[in-house]
Amino acid sequence: MLKAFFASKVAYILLIPGACIIFFPIFWIALTSLKTPPEIQIVPPTFFPKQLSNTTNYFEVFRREPFGNFILNSLFVASICSISSVFLSSLAGYGYAKFNFPGKNLFFFATVGMLMIPFQTIMVPLYLWLTRFGLLDTYVGIMTPFLVSAFGVFLMRVAIETIPSDYIDAARIDGCSDLRIFMQIILPSVKPALATLAIIKFMWTWNELLWPLIVTSSTSKYVVTLGLSSFTNMYFREYHLLTAAAALSMIPTIAIFLLFQKWVIRGVAMSGLKG
Amino acid sequence: MNAIPKRSLWDKFKCKEVVGFLFILPAFLYFVFVYYYPILQSLYISFHDWSPFAMRFVGLQMYRKVLFRSVFWHSMYITTYFVILSIPLTVIPALFIAILLNSIIRIKLRNILTVFYFLPFVVSLVAAALIWEWLLNPHYGFVNYLLERVGIPGQLWLRSPTQVIPSLAGINAWSRLGFDVILFLAALQTLPMELYEAAEIDGASKFQRFSHITLPLLNPQIILVVIIELIFDFKIFDQVYVTTQGGPANQSRVIILHLYDVAFKWFKMGQACVIGLMVFLLLLSLSFFQWRFFRRTVTY
Repeated sequence: MLKAFFASKVAYILLIPGACIIFFPIFWIALTSLKTPPEIQIVPPTFFPKQLSNTTNYFEVFRREPFGNFILNSLFVASICSISSVFLSSLAGYGYAKFNFPGKNLFFFATVGMLMIPFQTIMVPLYLWLTRFGLLDTYVGIMTPFLVSAFGVFLMRVAIETIPSDYIDAARIDGCSDLRIFMQIILPSVKPALATLAIIKFMWTWNELLWPLIVTSSTSKYVVTLGLSSFTNMYFREYHLLTAAAALSMIPTIAIFLLFQKWVIRGVAMSGLKG
Repeated sequence: MNAIPKRSLWDKFKCKEVVGFLFILPAFLYFVFVYYYPILQSLYISFHDWSPFAMRFVGLQMYRKVLFRSVFWHSMYITTYFVILSIPLTVIPALFIAILLNSIIRIKLRNILTVFYFLPFVVSLVAAALIWEWLLNPHYGFVNYLLERVGIPGQLWLRSPTQVIPSLAGINAWSRLGFDVILFLAALQTLPMELYEAAEIDGASKFQRFSHITLPLLNPQIILVVIIELIFDFKIFDQVYVTTQGGPANQSRVIILHLYDVAFKWFKMGQACVIGLMVFLLLLSLSFFQWRFFRRTVTY
């Protein structure tokens, strides 16, 4: 008992300062974004800004670049990809979990095996496809690689497998079509898994840079990561603006994470345990 | 007399198996079009001199151009150096943090601390890179300020050819730590308590319990986390693109950045596909070898 007491205390002594150190960079960016240029360039650097309510940098960011557009674009792309992923993954998950058709395991293996293929290997052919179909610099083009994930299919399969088959069979005997079974029995029973997948997919798509970078050329369609990157290229010495822009791009994902911590952490843990 | 209803063609078609297949079809078709077909195409393009103006079959010439030129191997070397630094820097602290977190009994506090450690992972790599570029700024950065306070001269960090990869590795570790912590924490919570209790009764010290129970049982998870980090770290792009763009003096020119330049700055698609395929082969064989070589089954 005493040992357990001490073990916990040692953990606190190490973990709490560690957490502060880990958190510090984010905190520092937030503080810096509230400072004026002279305050930033003072050596030695000041810690707290003179005025905590100094939001001029943020307004200046919006004035220089259509940052609001960037955020809306990210919101749009991430939401559509999240919804599409949830829907298609759960359809497939249901198929793998509750049906037996010839070659089922082969198809599933092929789906999961796809995780082995790095995105960077297929991005050139995908880009050429988009060019051929005139989908460059379109929202559809930006969303193309992100509409379903193999992880999602796996997650939904595991979740749906826990639904008792008798329940489904009873509904089928009662004359329910499979689609109705899917919409009215399966989906409601796996709401936690659906939520987890939706949120993780949303956040992951939000944070993408490489593909939007390749595909987008008009500023009006930039997503936040791209917008932040180009903002940095243009105003690379104006640290008061850079930090404000970085902070702006972080606020949505951090907010979603804090709101839905349970889902996110559980989803991450499951992606590891599956290995 | 009642006629036995004949099963229509549709009824026969709608048997259970076909329906199941229809459910998995949309996702599977998507994967075929977005991943499997493109990788075959990548192979096809790699045998061509493919630019926006022309496309010519050239056999293995593109492979020669890529593999016989030092710029490709330089990028591989830089990336490998980054990966070798980044993995221990991420995985070892993550393991210890997870073990410490696991020993905290009050769940609410443990969850709050976990949130703090995971927060850097939530932020996009672009934002993370900018945050650290600012912290590591040689003139105004907080890190140099702290160093100078303790008498160490300020360093160039991302601007120095020798320090750029270690700095990038540090940034990566900061960002990825939380993810690995959660993976380890989840695994730790599946470890059976009875083993520890039995060991304690037998008089095993804390260290012995760690090295003889925890580590061996976590072995699969450690390998898994290392593989995950390996695969991810090899493909880094975002942080490098946003901060150093491969510099200074090409000392941070990681392979995916090189691929990006070849494909989308110089439009040499054939060569780009060769690079992409090389990366794929490398990652595939690395995961395979790691899994086979380091796996030790634990029986108890």
